Amino acid sequence: MTKVKRQTQGSTQTGSGLGAKLSLNKRIHSLVMRPDRLAGNVFLLPAVWVILSLAIFPLIISLYLSFSSFRFVKGGFELKFVGLANYEKLLTGTEKTRFLGVLANPSIFGWLVFIIIAVLLVISLVLYIRRGQLSAGGLFWRGLAAFVIGLVAWLLVRAIGPDGRPGTLIVTLIYVFIGILFQFLLGLGLAFLTAQSIPGRRFFRIVFFIPMMITPVGIAYLFRMLTDTTKGPFTVIWKMVGLIGFSWVNHPWGARAAVMLGDIWQWTPFMFILLLAALESQPIETFEAAIVDGASKWQIFRYISLPHILPVSVTIILIRMIEAFKIVDIPNVLTNGGPGTASESLALQSYMYWRALDLGGSSSVSYMLLITVTLVCMCYFNLIHRAVKENI
Amino acid sequence: MEYVKKLVHWKLAIAFIVVVLATTLLGACAPAAKVGETAAPVEKETAAPPSEEAAPAAKPFEGVEVNILTFTGPQIAEPLQRRAPDFQALTGAKVNVVIVPFSDLYMKILTDMATGTNSYDAFVFSPQWMSDYIIPGYLEDLTDRVAADEALEWQDIAPFFRDFSASYEGKIWTIPLDGDFHMLYYRTDLLKEAGLNPPETWDDYLNIAKTFNGKDLNNDGKPDYGSAISKKRGAQAYWFIYDIAGSFIQSQGTGQGTFFNTKTFEPLVDNDAFAAALEVYKETTKYGPPDELNLDVGDTRGLFTSGRAALSLDWGDIGTLAIDPEISVVQDKVGAAILPGSTKVLDWDTGKLVDVNENTAPYAVNGVNHAPLAAYGGWSGAINAGADPKVKDAAYAFLSYMSQPAQANVDVTLGKTGFNPYRISQFENTELWVEAGMSQTAAENYLGAIKDSLESPNMVLDLRIPQNARYQQTVLDTAVSQFLAGELTTEQTMKQIYDGWEEITNELGRDVQLKAYLGGLGVEK
Amino acid sequence: MKKPFRRKSIFSPSPAAMVLSYLVLGIWTLVVLFPLYWYIVTSIKLPIQVIRGPFYLPFVDFQPSLHAWRYIFTDLRNDTLRPYFNTVVISLISSTLALLIGMAAAYGLLRFNYRPRSGAILMFIGCIVLVIVAISLGMPWMLAVIAGIVLFIILLQTIGRRFKRSLGNNDIAFWMISTRILPPVVIVIPLYVLFQRIGLLDTKTALIITYLAVSLPIVVWLMRDYFTTIPIELEESATVDGASRYRIFFSIVLPLSAPGLVATFLLILVFNWNEYLLALFLTSSRAQTLPLTVAAQNATRGPQWWYMSVLILIMIIPVIAIAIVLERYIARGLLVGAVKE
Repeated sequence: MTKVKRQTQGSTQTGSGLGAKLSLNKRIHSLVMRPDRLAGNVFLLPAVWVILSLAIFPLIISLYLSFSSFRFVKGGFELKFVGLANYEKLLTGTEKTRFLGVLANPSIFGWLVFIIIAVLLVISLVLYIRRGQLSAGGLFWRGLAAFVIGLVAWLLVRAIGPDGRPGTLIVTLIYVFIGILFQFLLGLGLAFLTAQSIPGRRFFRIVFFIPMMITPVGIAYLFRMLTDTTKGPFTVIWKMVGLIGFSWVNHPWGARAAVMLGDIWQWTPFMFILLLAALESQPIETFEAAIVDGASKWQIFRYISLPHILPVSVTIILIRMIEAFKIVDIPNVLTNGGPGTASESLALQSYMYWRALDLGGSSSVSYMLLITVTLVCMCYFNLIHRAVKENI
Repeated sequence: MEYVKKLVHWKLAIAFIVVVLATTLLGACAPAAKVGETAAPVEKETAAPPSEEAAPAAKPFEGVEVNILTFTGPQIAEPLQRRAPDFQALTGAKVNVVIVPFSDLYMKILTDMATGTNSYDAFVFSPQWMSDYIIPGYLEDLTDRVAADEALEWQDIAPFFRDFSASYEGKIWTIPLDGDFHMLYYRTDLLKEAGLNPPETWDDYLNIAKTFNGKDLNNDGKPDYGSAISKKRGAQAYWFIYDIAGSFIQSQGTGQGTFFNTKTFEPLVDNDAFAAALEVYKETTKYGPPDELNLDVGDTRGLFTSGRAALSLDWGDIGTLAIDPEISVVQDKVGAAILPGSTKVLDWDTGKLVDVNENTAPYAVNGVNHAPLAAYGGWSGAINAGADPKVKDAAYAFLSYMSQPAQANVDVTLGKTGFNPYRISQFENTELWVEAGMSQTAAENYLGAIKDSLESPNMVLDLRIPQNARYQQTVLDTAVSQFLAGELTTEQTMKQIYDGWEEITNELGRDVQLKAYLGGLGVEK
Repeated sequence: MKKPFRRKSIFSPSPAAMVLSYLVLGIWTLVVLFPLYWYIVTSIKLPIQVIRGPFYLPFVDFQPSLHAWRYIFTDLRNDTLRPYFNTVVISLISSTLALLIGMAAAYGLLRFNYRPRSGAILMFIGCIVLVIVAISLGMPWMLAVIAGIVLFIILLQTIGRRFKRSLGNNDIAFWMISTRILPPVVIVIPLYVLFQRIGLLDTKTALIITYLAVSLPIVVWLMRDYFTTIPIELEESATVDGASRYRIFFSIVLPLSAPGLVATFLLILVFNWNEYLLALFLTSSRAQTLPLTVAAQNATRGPQWWYMSVLILIMIIPVIAIAIVLERYIARGLLVGAVKE
């Protein structure tokens, strides 16, 4: 019927899912040729209208707020335009140590780490260029990604070094990346185990979904109870380990670890349930065919399941990443961002300014968050997301 | 397509859609049946003729509805909710108490008034927020009403709350319902055994804390702590530092102020007095629980009432909590006293500490300058200037009713109300307290401490200038928290607070802030 | 082939693997259920028992007391039931609507090629800015909105034609998900003002609309991926049979993506069930939801753990019930015999 233009990878016998995608592009065109333009709009427009009407308005207003300073005057309040003053305060002014952190010279180890990362980035860029399939877009995104990664690495080694102290930006990045790593691995493992036909799997699926059901404020208080070394349930364990006089939320990394633990406990079900649905939606014939062909369990996982769930995984990670950058409830309730500012995240900093009526400061932090997340997501989207979708 | 029919149970789908539609319809109509007593659609009584009975006065506010906003109780909200029906029986006005989570009360009030929504007619809030609401003109001036109100017994209210907490720029804006200030609490049994007197200076405090730290104070076999002070960031820590700093900085009476220089509006945080206060504050951590940096005032109270701390600083709550058997194991072992003071005070011109004498500290007691901090100001009621005139009258009547001695004196003895004493008649009469469960000695001790604090002419008025939250929460709290965590040295902390405060002042206008600061400190009867 | 433990299907693991699986699953079940147990235990403790230290077993370590349950259900009866009712209604409605609208959009983004012109978009944003400025200068909002729409249409027909460069499906999708990047704290006050002008403050409708707009991007993104797992041959053969777009969507694509649909529904249901900040500001007394009541247990006396535990327990019960009912749909086997070649 239609010619398949794109080069195929892998056998078209491995199932409708794989083979279909390869010729998808061409087939879309053939489907769209029909006079169904109206249907297209009917499907999409309601969503677009709803999101549009409620999303753009706050975005513009908060942009304006970030350029202004709020105060009360006789008769009401006033928003005075101050230009970039709020941003300057964050990046170079009095709030710099809170936002970026105290950036000291990196230790020897820090230098080493940074140089290794830099070298790896350069090598990957060079390899890409030498591969020959150069495109302006690809080069741009890779260059940008390399720059962003390099900048983050530079900030990291300077802030986490012996004299430095990470600010909210760095702490948020740590929360996001380490949190997602664990959540994904745990979620995948659990999903895989419960996708098997073992008795009682329905029980496990429901139970594993529970942490996400609890409202975030409740989870934050829960972890506050659990991490309490004097009246929490684990005091027995602390005593055995000799930690009874110790309070881990008094140490910067202890506080951060507590926050991350709460975050991982809460959000693993997110990965779990979506990966489970993906695993469950694999077509059975593929498996049957593979068994008939004599494939081992590992081969089945590696060559059938993994490619099947990879697109979904990539999307799930993107969604979770966007949500994770907004982490606020657990640090707020558990430690209020303490000790000092050690466990404070960007969203928490924004919330604290907002509570103190520093609306300009709050909006400017939120916009820095927006810029950071957009940069990270666009690099992620254009590199990994697209690569996975196209090369599958 | 057979397989398709297998997959989707059409009946299930239809049932689901029907359920959704039904709930949509239900949701669209206001569920009048489910609405509780705390919020009801406006009822208009049919025209009831003024009361025909001869004896009770005509119900003046028949059909009027007042919406009062405060935070979720039971503290503060409970007495309001409990007495609302009584008030309605008396005057006919229906009072709806609307509650929101405590941490968001300030913003809720502000957005309601600033956007002109005016869905609340009155508030019970902290007077510290007053300047933010008064300057834009959102609150109703109550001076005339109070002057005409005999039943309120305004003069019975302690001078501090009358003249400072409730007033601003010479006018009255709130009706006090609660008296908030910090006191010292100690374990009477422990101190008696060791033959010690309650601490009068901060050095005494540290010594006593050191003595008891690590000993088992409640016979449960575990070592306990000498002192428990809330130091959690974003909680109440930024008041406790001023418990200490106030006694070093302010010595000439409430009107002198503690936070800023009254002439130049320079922050008084970069001097020897504040440095000394920071040192004391940090030192108390050594004799406290290991996670004191993460304890808020609820936790430290719990520690004290479960017998695990010898000393603590708090509002009036420990006193009333200590007699509750559901919460406390130290009934009748708790003593209260005015906050410890200092033997050296700040010379404002030089920035150095000088010894206490009649000139430097005219209000010193036994050579010690005490400066109890009226942290937060004491929950008070205020009225939305944008409300209906009749509703405003009814709201005022309710607030006055709550504050009148007949009601207030009972409420302050009940721990769950969260109301602490603020009227002179309340701490002169020990009977009510004994009835509530305190022993006679405990009641006398507790009320004596309150009396000493309230009658102190050197009480510290909490910071009450526009956007004080930025000064205290964004700058002061963060810096002190970093100091306690060891991220900053004393000098760095003071400088950070100084710079931060100056930046805010410059942004908001130094003259405006200075004027507001002086307006808050002014004494007008 | 006779084996002692015959596998029931190809998905049954070997005995060794089963033991290992149960071990891992058991550990994680403990990790999940222990905090829940702690909630239950805390809800029947007296305050002094919570403060004094960990007590684990009722009747053994401590005497349980129902004071917290009594308080929540009898003292606070209407103040608990009303938020409960509100939460149920608001979450169910907004999640269902989000699912319906979102999956349609996801399918559209997948099978159709949209080319919105960037000129049109810029003009749209410009008109919105003008509308906002007009409203803040005092114009009644209905008038301003209508004027803005008219202006937009006029501009679109005239100047809009000149900018040909257009965006694609991926850009639309990215824009949708980017609306979730800003922390809620920033959008709260603008939304508050918006609903205040329309007069919808403190109503369930306002929350439903808001949650709908906030959940849509997630639904669109997730369903896009689940839809791509549907083999396109099915749709093609249906097209050959003469089915319309809508028919294909409802009869073929939807049933086959049931696992994804159910998972997504559960997800956004939970999001909307537990949302706090927007509910706090857009409601005052009538439309309050349960998360507010939970957060409110942090009083000036410190968190009232016992009340909070009760509230959280009653909050998760309906969600667990819904999850139990819907979980069967996240099941394999729906594609058996789907493609008959």
